[in-house]
Amino acid sequence: MNGYVEAGYVVVLGTLGTYGVTLVARERSARRRVGAGSNKARNAAGAGTSARAGTSVPQGDASAREHRAVEEEGPGSAPRAMSP
Amino acid sequence: MSTPPRAVQSGRAAVAVALRVLGVTALVGVAATVWLGLFVTPPDEFMGNLVRLLYVHPPMAWVAFLAYGVASLASLLYLWPRTRAERFDRLAGASAEVGVVFTGLTLVSGSIWGRPTWGAWWVWDPLLTTTALLFVLYLGYLALRRVPGELHVRARRSAIAALIAFIDVPIVYLSVEWWRSLHQAPTVLNPTTQKTYVHGSMAWTLLLGFVSFTLVYIWLTAHRYRLAELQDLEDTEGLDVALAERRAEAVAG
Repeated sequence: MNGYVEAGYVVVLGTLGTYGVTLVARERSARRRVGAGSNKARNAAGAGTSARAGTSVPQGDASAREHRAVEEEGPGSAPRAMSP
Repeated sequence: MSTPPRAVQSGRAAVAVALRVLGVTALVGVAATVWLGLFVTPPDEFMGNLVRLLYVHPPMAWVAFLAYGVASLASLLYLWPRTRAERFDRLAGASAEVGVVFTGLTLVSGSIWGRPTWGAWWVWDPLLTTTALLFVLYLGYLALRRVPGELHVRARRSAIAALIAFIDVPIVYLSVEWWRSLHQAPTVLNPTTQKTYVHGSMAWTLLLGFVSFTLVYIWLTAHRYRLAELQDLEDTEGLDVALAERRAEAVAG
């Protein structure tokens, strides 16, 4: 064939392959971290709840619900609208 | 009104399946392009086997332009007050990052083709120079996105930067027409002569390359978008944990 042709294909396919695999690995790792973080948030909110002996912590619960949903369902297509 | 959880869940599952199908299709398309490009298509009358590099080089450039076009459109939608949403900022960032990868590959694959054809790895040709400028401009855009700041301010300045950088895209495309260039003029569809200079199996392989690498772009951008979404969620979550811990400390104390 031609050394230049082979080098060109190796560079293109190798770079795209490496980039794609890295993206998927980073995505999985981020999903795991988000899951672990939501557990931490739940525990912290739960500690506050037990310290108050039965009073609820609405903010923590709402946040934990949201994160749990993401953890269970994967990254969402439901976007969070930004305020102007 | 919020979306029912079951509908959201099934929607996300459908997106995940669609992404997998897209990934497999893109992979098959790229494999077919490589097989046709390396083993099936004939050598060129003038370039010989070096023509095989052109089944990947123009698709890389096309995808880079497409990626910057999407990033610019998303930036415009973000800047427009009625359509302003965080998802457009994320899409712009994801698309631009993938565009930078494809621009880098355009430069490298072109350089590998140029060495045996022109006798040099690099020449300060208008097309090459403006493409290198495009690469640097969008690298700067990605760097700007990482500058710390309030979310909306960061997103707004990034959107403006993306639109400024996009000015270079038509300059790159038309540089071979505007200036005397060592680089060949468009051969798939020449805007001046309205003719195609690629035929038969060579044309089909090139077309397959365009389609396959466009699918690769969509797949990569979708994954980069999802990663950005998770990173944003992680930042919010860190804040939630800190708030919940402080609340727990206040209650316990």
